[in-house]
Amino acid sequence: MPSIRIPTPLRPYTGGQSIVPVHSATVGAALNELAERYPQLRPHLFNETGELRSFVNIFVNNEDVRYLHQGETPLREEDTIRIVPSIAGGAGETGGGERKVDHMALKVNQAFIIALLMAAYITNTPWLVAFVAAVMLIGTIWPQAALFKAVYTYVLKPAGVLKPRVIPDNPEPHLFAQGLGGVFLALSSLALLGLNQPVVGWALAWLVVGLAALNLFVGFCAGCFIYYQLNRLHVPGFTASPIERRK
Amino acid sequence: MALKLTAELLNAIERHAEAAYPHEGCGILLGRVEGDTRTVTDILPVENQREEAARRNRYLIPPEVVADGEEMAEQKGLEVIGFFHSHPDHPARPSAFDREHAWPWYSYVITSVEQGRASGSRAWRLLDDRSQFVEEEMAYA
Repeated sequence: MPSIRIPTPLRPYTGGQSIVPVHSATVGAALNELAERYPQLRPHLFNETGELRSFVNIFVNNEDVRYLHQGETPLREEDTIRIVPSIAGGAGETGGGERKVDHMALKVNQAFIIALLMAAYITNTPWLVAFVAAVMLIGTIWPQAALFKAVYTYVLKPAGVLKPRVIPDNPEPHLFAQGLGGVFLALSSLALLGLNQPVVGWALAWLVVGLAALNLFVGFCAGCFIYYQLNRLHVPGFTASPIERRK
Repeated sequence: MALKLTAELLNAIERHAEAAYPHEGCGILLGRVEGDTRTVTDILPVENQREEAARRNRYLIPPEVVADGEEMAEQKGLEVIGFFHSHPDHPARPSAFDREHAWPWYSYVITSVEQGRASGSRAWRLLDDRSQFVEEEMAYA
């Protein structure tokens, strides 16, 4: 008969037993059998929706069932199931420590920047460049007031036109990239409106269009690249390191 | 309800926490259980396996490492009686996140590290109904 080895912390709920024999044919069924026999054990293995808690891991003969067939993993007579916790925690409050960025919001921002700057060039409207510069700089200093992202957050996303693409990432490099673009456009506006230097002004605007397009279509964020280089050199203020993919 | 350990072991836990700063450091407590009192006899500092960007306020000891700790304890005739981790620039109190990811019975020792210096360690146990952590007395054996 297969059996489940009970880790010390859970033995108070199995009447002190360290080995519980089970009749089930699969791992999932065996765990349910265990929880039915010892109901007080259930909340420590399963969450409110009946799924195995994220930190609870199940091994069959020292093999993690995640790499076998999960709950469907078949059991043989001599198999031993082991319940092993992964130990997690930390000072950050729930969710607050997870670093995630909605890349769809970034893409909408880039599309607005490209479209408005091209419109400004075609119609020869320098004040539109100044407007984009202002939106980008304000959005960098005060992210909640980022106009193009607000169009996404309050119009395009709720309407279902665009779907969020939230992935683990640092927000700071993207803010830095936007701020850099905003500075280029502020200089462009100055050249176009104040210094009467249209060639310099439009060249700077096209540089921003090019970098935004590189990000939108190729996925390469030049400003983020600069940010991470500064982080690598330990420049103060550039504290976010690239997020490593978990093994 | 008490957790007994020597000044040397506590010192080793706090030095590990300082070395990990500004990240969270973590490890396994091995020892003996007599009724409601545990005596820490060995500590196993382990690598925090959370990704780099999260390590300043999160820690992870994967199940394989916990299983290795259990085997080592068994060989020495001991038990895994709990875990330790640090809170860089945060108090030595469990967070809501700590509570969601804990089991009762284990002793969780948390060391607060302020500006790179350990500023105190406290031990905690999760209640049976998972509602909260209660502080466990730390006694120096």
